Amino acid sequence: MAVVPGMTELTAPYWQAARENRLVVQECQSCRQLWHPPLPRCPHCHAAGPAWRQVCGDGTIYTYTVVRHPTHYAFADQVPYVLAIVELAEGPRLVTAITGAAPEEVRAGQPVRVVFREVADGVTLPYFALVRYQGDDHGTA
Amino acid sequence: MTAREVAIVGIGQTAYGKALPGTAWDLALEAILGALADAGLKPADVDGICRFAPPFEPVSEPQLVRALGIPELRFFAESPLGGEALGAVLAHAAAAVTAGLASTVVVYRALSQSRGGRFGRADGRGPGGPVGSGKAGGDGPEAHVVVPEEDNRSFAWPYGLMSPGQLFALWARRYAVVHGLVDEDLTRALGSIAITQRAYARGNPNAMMRDRKMDWDDYRGARMISEPLRLFDLCLENDGACAYVVTGAATARRLRDDPVYVLSATQTLSPYREPMGIYVTGELLELFPPSTAERLFAEAGVGRADIDVAEFYDATSYMPLRSLESYGFVPDGQAWRYVTETGTGPGSPLPVNTHGGHLSEAYLHGMNGVLEAVRQLRGTASNQVPGAEVALVGAPAGSAMILAR
Repeated sequence: MAVVPGMTELTAPYWQAARENRLVVQECQSCRQLWHPPLPRCPHCHAAGPAWRQVCGDGTIYTYTVVRHPTHYAFADQVPYVLAIVELAEGPRLVTAITGAAPEEVRAGQPVRVVFREVADGVTLPYFALVRYQGDDHGTA
Repeated sequence: MTAREVAIVGIGQTAYGKALPGTAWDLALEAILGALADAGLKPADVDGICRFAPPFEPVSEPQLVRALGIPELRFFAESPLGGEALGAVLAHAAAAVTAGLASTVVVYRALSQSRGGRFGRADGRGPGGPVGSGKAGGDGPEAHVVVPEEDNRSFAWPYGLMSPGQLFALWARRYAVVHGLVDEDLTRALGSIAITQRAYARGNPNAMMRDRKMDWDDYRGARMISEPLRLFDLCLENDGACAYVVTGAATARRLRDDPVYVLSATQTLSPYREPMGIYVTGELLELFPPSTAERLFAEAGVGRADIDVAEFYDATSYMPLRSLESYGFVPDGQAWRYVTETGTGPGSPLPVNTHGGHLSEAYLHGMNGVLEAVRQLRGTASNQVPGAEVALVGAPAGSAMILAR
């Protein structure tokens, strides 16, 4: 069982890109500001028709929590898991989870990179993995 | 609003418990009738109601008008966004009274989490209705849970960020990161708040945890829920109701010798700074603009040093910690040290959550903190702060009030 995002006209392009293993955020066609989550118009200059721009997929952990008590049965067999807010290299922040690391390895400020995981047929979520440098367990070169 | 134009003349509440026999509707009636009796008023005197908006508040105005036999309600208003309603409902009630739209306004909050809608669970009927129960791929055991997009929930729930406690854990961790705390610093700060509030609850006959001692071993030994938050860093889940009655100051003085005056009441909203905001573009720790707190004090005509007691909304122990800073009592980044060294217990410069708070009295969306502030200002609280004259009740997202006797 997976918990999957319902989609709206506004949010569907984000999830469609994730299916194609691309991480995208909205970008104003006029003032070039980026933001996430999606909005109908640019929150800075109010221009209509924002575009979707692919980001590089690198970021850092802004904050995180190790969830040890599941509050939904769908996550009962997944605890402990690491929720995080990741700040993308381009600026916007995302809610995500850290994958491929033991909870005790995770620290705020660590560099991370997007990885895509298909959680259900046709549904792919962007997760983030620690960027590991040789000789440094915490990836803080 | 002009300070002292309106007052709280009556308070009422039910018992608080894990599973009370009454429905939320019945609990609301008990609390409201109690508040009216406390004020020396009758249901027929009520001409205004202000409440927390659905889906949080389950009991509607028509239900109350019917069951109380209110002849005509001529003002009613609802405030959205959960805890953000705490100061707003009073602001609306006070504005209605001063504008002449109503003379006697009831404010209430009723909860029956035992009948569904536990805030700490995401898979039952949550406060937002049966969220996440929509199924894709049939109803078999492999069916998926589809999260409808609403307020960006579809970007968080699929990762398992589903409950307030998890979100507040992200805030608390960020606090430690920004201010350079190691885990032990944060544990001592959060534990100091939880243990202090439990001690207050032990002196409060209304508190659900009045018979449950808690020391550092109990606190540290409790299981981690969402790091860094342990079991006792999280609020209770319970049934119960609270209500209070607002009238003009002159009416209040006719009704009783000890009305509690409203000096100011605020609501506030900035981008992504709704009570559970997480996509804040600036620093996540700043949950409301500093100007909100300045407005609260300026309208009240008092300063921080005038506040004798504070009741801070505490869905988790992190919130009173941060509220000490965001309401301006302690400089940013110093509350963690302040709560361990100076503390918020009896005899401290600013006693906080003297009823035990949401952590140890009961969870009523901040409304039990309002009732406690009124008792403190009347001089009738179980853990009375000697000579308390001015009280602040505040939610972490900036919705607050200053009351005075």
